[in-house]
Amino acid sequence: MSRTLLLFAWRDLVRRPWQSGLMLLGVVLGVAVMVSIDVANVSARRGFSLSTEAVVGRATHRIEGGPSGVPEAFYVQLRTLGWQDTAPIVEGIAIAPDLQDRPLRLLGIDLFSDAVIRPTFGLDAWTQAGAERFFLEPDAVIIPAGLAREGGLLPGDRFRLFLGNRVADLSILGVWTPPENDPSEALDDVVWMDIAAAQELTGTTGRLTRIDLIAARDDVPGIAALLPPGVSLVPASQQAETVRQLSDAFQLNLTALSLLALMVGMFLIYNSTMFHVVQRRQILATLGVLGAESGQIARLILGEAAAVATVGAVLGLPFGWALGQTAVRLVTQTINDFYFTLSVRQAPLEPATAAKAVAIALGAALLAAAGPALEAARIPPVAAFQRSDLEERASRGVGRAAGAGLASLAAGALLLAAAQRSLALSLGGMFGVLVGLALMVPLSSRILLLGLVRLLPRLRASRLRWGLRSVVRSLSRTSVALAALMVALAVTIGLGTMIASFRQAVDDWLDLTLRADVYVSSPLGSGSQPRGDISPEWESRLGSVPGVARVEPFRAAQVATEFGPARISAVDSYRIRDARLYRSSSGTAEEVWNELRQGSVLVSESFLQKHGLRFPMPPLTLTTDRGPRSFSVAAVFYDYSSEVGTVMMTQEVYHQFWSDRWLSSLGVFLAPQASFEDVARGVRNVLAGTGLHVTTLGDVRQRALAIFDRSFEVTSALRLLSVLVAGVGMMSALLALQLERAREVATLQVLGMTPRELGAQILLENGIMGVLAALLSVPTGLLLAWILTKVINLRSFGWAIPWSPGLEPIAIALGLSLLAAWAAGLYPWWRVSRAPIAERLRAD
Amino acid sequence: MRPPTARTVMILLLLGLGFIGVWLTTQVTAVPDIRSGEVQFASGGVRPADFARVTAPRAFSFPEDHGPHPAFRTEWWYFTGNLFAQGGSHFGYQLTLFRTGLAPHAGERASALATDQIYFAHFALSRPNGAYDSFERYSRGAAGLAGSSASPPEFWLENWSVRALDDVGDAFSLSASQGELTLDLLLTSLKPVVAQGEAGMSRKGPEAGNASYYVSQTRLATEGTVGEGGRMWQVEGTSWFDHEWGTTVLPPQVVGWDWFGLQLDDDRELMLYRIRRADGSFASVSAGTLVEPDGSTIHLTAEDFAIESTAEWRSPRSGATYPSGWRIRVPTAGLDLEVKPYQADQEVDAQIVYWEGAVRVMGRSRGAEVLGVGFVELTGYAEAMQGWF
Repeated sequence: MSRTLLLFAWRDLVRRPWQSGLMLLGVVLGVAVMVSIDVANVSARRGFSLSTEAVVGRATHRIEGGPSGVPEAFYVQLRTLGWQDTAPIVEGIAIAPDLQDRPLRLLGIDLFSDAVIRPTFGLDAWTQAGAERFFLEPDAVIIPAGLAREGGLLPGDRFRLFLGNRVADLSILGVWTPPENDPSEALDDVVWMDIAAAQELTGTTGRLTRIDLIAARDDVPGIAALLPPGVSLVPASQQAETVRQLSDAFQLNLTALSLLALMVGMFLIYNSTMFHVVQRRQILATLGVLGAESGQIARLILGEAAAVATVGAVLGLPFGWALGQTAVRLVTQTINDFYFTLSVRQAPLEPATAAKAVAIALGAALLAAAGPALEAARIPPVAAFQRSDLEERASRGVGRAAGAGLASLAAGALLLAAAQRSLALSLGGMFGVLVGLALMVPLSSRILLLGLVRLLPRLRASRLRWGLRSVVRSLSRTSVALAALMVALAVTIGLGTMIASFRQAVDDWLDLTLRADVYVSSPLGSGSQPRGDISPEWESRLGSVPGVARVEPFRAAQVATEFGPARISAVDSYRIRDARLYRSSSGTAEEVWNELRQGSVLVSESFLQKHGLRFPMPPLTLTTDRGPRSFSVAAVFYDYSSEVGTVMMTQEVYHQFWSDRWLSSLGVFLAPQASFEDVARGVRNVLAGTGLHVTTLGDVRQRALAIFDRSFEVTSALRLLSVLVAGVGMMSALLALQLERAREVATLQVLGMTPRELGAQILLENGIMGVLAALLSVPTGLLLAWILTKVINLRSFGWAIPWSPGLEPIAIALGLSLLAAWAAGLYPWWRVSRAPIAERLRAD
Repeated sequence: MRPPTARTVMILLLLGLGFIGVWLTTQVTAVPDIRSGEVQFASGGVRPADFARVTAPRAFSFPEDHGPHPAFRTEWWYFTGNLFAQGGSHFGYQLTLFRTGLAPHAGERASALATDQIYFAHFALSRPNGAYDSFERYSRGAAGLAGSSASPPEFWLENWSVRALDDVGDAFSLSASQGELTLDLLLTSLKPVVAQGEAGMSRKGPEAGNASYYVSQTRLATEGTVGEGGRMWQVEGTSWFDHEWGTTVLPPQVVGWDWFGLQLDDDRELMLYRIRRADGSFASVSAGTLVEPDGSTIHLTAEDFAIESTAEWRSPRSGATYPSGWRIRVPTAGLDLEVKPYQADQEVDAQIVYWEGAVRVMGRSRGAEVLGVGFVELTGYAEAMQGWF
């Protein structure tokens, strides 16, 4: 390419700082959004892999029991029979009140046997001076260096942990530093203790949480033959797999989000580039007239787009990384709320992420510039001077896009219908629907606007008619931005409606399930995970507080069913649960409860969905501490507290088949006429010094909803972000359009229109665009919400949620859209009223 | 019921069929290996000074003194032996149980796994084909995983065990297996328990308290089986049982010791040890015991014997160079012996690397030809023993 042309391109870019800047901004934002989600996603996934790896170590299997674990005597038996590659674990989840209530994993280990399975500590760790205290002192812990740094803790310091109803005052015996160059953050949420001390601290003397072991395939039958009742041998990969599956649904969601970011980002880059090129059709044609070869011009256009896209992408990377830091915090929080304790300390920008973002930005920009480049190379310069030529081609494109859109819509609908229980296929179907509707935007907006023009009385509202026609005329250049904005708004409406419907369903359900006046729970019970053990003696202790009518014990634990792991909810049998809680049942609420008292169980809706079952169903087999037992299923109940599925039974039945006597929470009911304040104070006094939380009905409800909201924080943040990005895209399209019309506007001004009138016209036209985008997005958004609640939600979590559209998400979409459109009118308006007319007439 | 939660759900959905597969594959990052880390411990803790020390000879009584002596920090039960299958092929075995007290007086604990005693054990077996393997195990001395007792005398770590067949410890059943190797032996003592050193006190250094109590059964008739893979050998031979306890600290400059336990076919046994310093010289506390056929003993001091090494062997694993043949003279006992390992490589590959091997003996005893077998222990050649004992 000749130097002259390069110089020309450079000067042109510099001479139009607004247009060039907008294109650059478009690329920067698009890349930033893509990168941020990618950073969060990759970091969370890596954190998960590392902690799994660090904890599973070389173990091939694990031996685990029911809620009360594995008898320690079985471990001794295994060892004395010569099974040496076995390591006992006593695990507890704790809260560190002095470290911002951070959840930590308390791992009780045997230093010697653990060294065989996990490389955390070497076999000679015990020979170091001071190490003997690890065995001797029941309060000695070793903490990882990351945690020590964070809490400013040194060997010899003390720190507190809340475990169930106990407050442990621990002494930091040692600080563990990972080997050089090792990403250690995976273990930053672990506190190590001697296994005996951990048993004493968690009140599980005689029991182990599990035994990790390395076993060859030939060894498995030998070990399996020794297992006591209620204890099973499972491959380590399967255990990791269960956790992985749990988090996979979440990761898939994040991936879907990043695809949204990608789509909006590509739209934006495409739009910015196309606009930049189309605007200069005439200048480029002039170059042709002056003798530049068509190939040269095409290369110039493509090269310029590539250069701007590359610069924008590189500038976007740090922004994306910064946004990613926030995103990863939100993601980690949600994972901690629902799945397991995960600490993700680093969210670096991986080269792969950066390369991917740059490549996508470059691809989108080249794709956008390809059309104009080809065109510039092909068409005679004289046609390029005519705007009409461009518009003619654009209107032919409208029909083709609408046709493709219809096809995509149909394909998406078919896919949704055919996807059955596949989440990925369902998502694909929804994507098809969305893309189809986006492709139909040019046609539908044209029909909508021209229809309006026709409807409006001829003489009155002439300004409005003028504005409408003007908008129609500009559609050839704004419809891509319009489609992007429509998609972003529709997603906002769809997600907003779905979340609101979901929240309403959860709220109603809380009403039905939360009936006690005061709840007592471990501080760990913040999520759906049954964490923390409360000693059963608290039931009678709380019952003796004056003014307390009843105390309802509750236990949640993980058990194995014939279909896989499920949660058990062991509830008080006294109170009959509301009929509205049952989705399907074998009789009235009283009859169901009577069956329950006689040993039947209830299963949750999600359990049924997850395993593709139908009610009535045959008896369900559960692995109890007395071996496998069958339980008849009396009803299916609504439950939003566990996505693995819940099996409900009475405390009596639970105690008959399981040895676990711990409680997860207690509900306290007030006697009539008892003062709430007095009882709450009485309960707090009794619990003083235990670390147990006393929460009122209102608090529990609020906390549940707060967790709900928190889990949608990433979603909300991203949906706003994509609207913002699309809004900026829309703004830049409209702004460029207005700048291009500067001469036209100046002419109008010379003809007698006042700056005020012109300003109003600009705002009117932009307002029409804003309303148009919002109008198009409402039906799309509601359709999306319907798909989300009725199809996707049911398929991914097994929860049926009523579709209840509200006005709020729609109002927000309209507001955002108008805001973007009017913001785009501000600068042209300012120019109209300030800059000298003559200068603007001369422009371009 | 618990507060619900909502999951995240669904969330987001949107988009993306074809993309999903491709995208997910790009998310997988390699997981690096995690090696062992280092622990920085708080200062303070249990010092050797808190344990009892050996300062004077004492009377022993059995079976009580076969059992553990937790007031002292370190204790070991050492079984070694030379076994012969039909046709004379030779096996050497070692089964040692070490006890390390973490504290002399620990408080009561609720958990059965709580412990103040750490046990570790070494099991080694040399076979006629020149193969030699050694193994090491560690365990807490709790919940029956590992331990020792006096009545009846028993010492075990998981399924490596020595259990007395009577109340006093004149006969033992010894059993150990690891991988394809198994060892099952019956040991019957042929002589009374010998108090080694000065009436059972064995000095490690010149200062008071730096000594251990040391008793032995120097000749135990042994029979049983050795197994490897599917093969099984009937074997018989002789074993040697040492039991030593104390709270010793190696004096500065001392890097290890050489120990000899030889069983001669004139029914005498000779035990010698010498404490070796970094410069290659030997400490004057080096000593020995000669056991006569009737079980009576003669205490030997450093001046009574001379040991001269006649060969060397360099370990390809640790790089350490060990003496690998000796000429031992005890003029007062009329002994002039050539001692040679059955095989050069009998290096125990454990946290502490040392050489412990079966040897054959020939020479003259009071003028007559004599043959014999025994075991030799060479410590501190691969790394100094400081800090371990």
